[in-house]
Amino acid sequence: MIAGVVSGLTQFFLPTHLLAIVALGLLIGQGARDLPIQLACLALGLAIGSVMIALAMRETPAAIALLGLTAAAGLAVVLAWTPPAFLVGAVLTIAGAGLALNTPPQALTIPVAIVEQIGTAMAALVTLALVAFGAARATRSWQRIGVRILGSWIAASAILVLALRLAR
Amino acid sequence: MLLLSAAPALAHGGEGGAGGFVAGLMHPVFGPDHVVAMVAVGLWGAFLGAPAIWLLPIVFPLVMALGGVLGILGVPVPATETGIAASAIVLGLMVALAARPPLWSAAVLVGAFAIFHGYAHGRELPAGANAVAFASGFVIATGLLHLCGIAFGLLTRWPAGRLAVRGAGGVIALVGLAYLGGFA
Repeated sequence: MIAGVVSGLTQFFLPTHLLAIVALGLLIGQGARDLPIQLACLALGLAIGSVMIALAMRETPAAIALLGLTAAAGLAVVLAWTPPAFLVGAVLTIAGAGLALNTPPQALTIPVAIVEQIGTAMAALVTLALVAFGAARATRSWQRIGVRILGSWIAASAILVLALRLAR
Repeated sequence: MLLLSAAPALAHGGEGGAGGFVAGLMHPVFGPDHVVAMVAVGLWGAFLGAPAIWLLPIVFPLVMALGGVLGILGVPVPATETGIAASAIVLGLMVALAARPPLWSAAVLVGAFAIFHGYAHGRELPAGANAVAFASGFVIATGLLHLCGIAFGLLTRWPAGRLAVRGAGGVIALVGLAYLGGFA
């Protein structure tokens, strides 16, 4: 049981996932969005993605979609743009689905596979909550500048890798 | 950064972590012409004060990414190495001469040079699964070099520090000149 959760947790901590969740967390925190609702949207997306895996959907462009969302979220953070709440929620739902699809469970049995997916979801939700909380508390001028600089680094990384994936 | 550098359990054979990230982090550091230009961006930003102090380090990685895309796509950008050396010369001179052009022109100048740096990085971006970690590493390294420049540039608050920063700009320009002349 615990091994399954840990396996799911470690599958979350890949650079693509981290970049995406940190970018989205900064976006939520910078715009002072209602965190529980946004977390619910991510959880919904993760559940949708898990169901899609169960339906044996393969070869989805989940990683590319995640990178695209990461670049867009990073640029929004740089511009300090606060998108409408429904748009952020939709982006989080798509990101959650992409994240789940990009993290297919390795277990051979269904119960362990479900536990692994729960581990991945926990890691994603906790990371998003922590980043959003931290970004929301960054209220001083230099802290907000720091958030925007971080957004530019994330956007630049995502744009480069996105180009690489699409070109080769 | 610690999380990015940690080696994940790659049960599904996905992307790598530590190796790619550290390689990316070291990539700009091992190119002195890159290093001095990045530091010069930070120095100049500090010299110009707000909002340039944070705007230039934001503009640079974003435009650098566009340059990287050109490199990845194989779009020919002529005289890349010359452009990188020229960036050190021009940005170093800007600091040495305490130039204070309008913000937009400083941003355009920094952005134009960022294209060359990004192009060089983009051509060397590994096609393998470590690409995300590598790209994150070198973008963060670039940003940290800017921050080094900004930190040193904050010495401009004192007369002696101002002199030291302008001197550093002169040294950066000389390094760029050495690269341009093929002496380095």
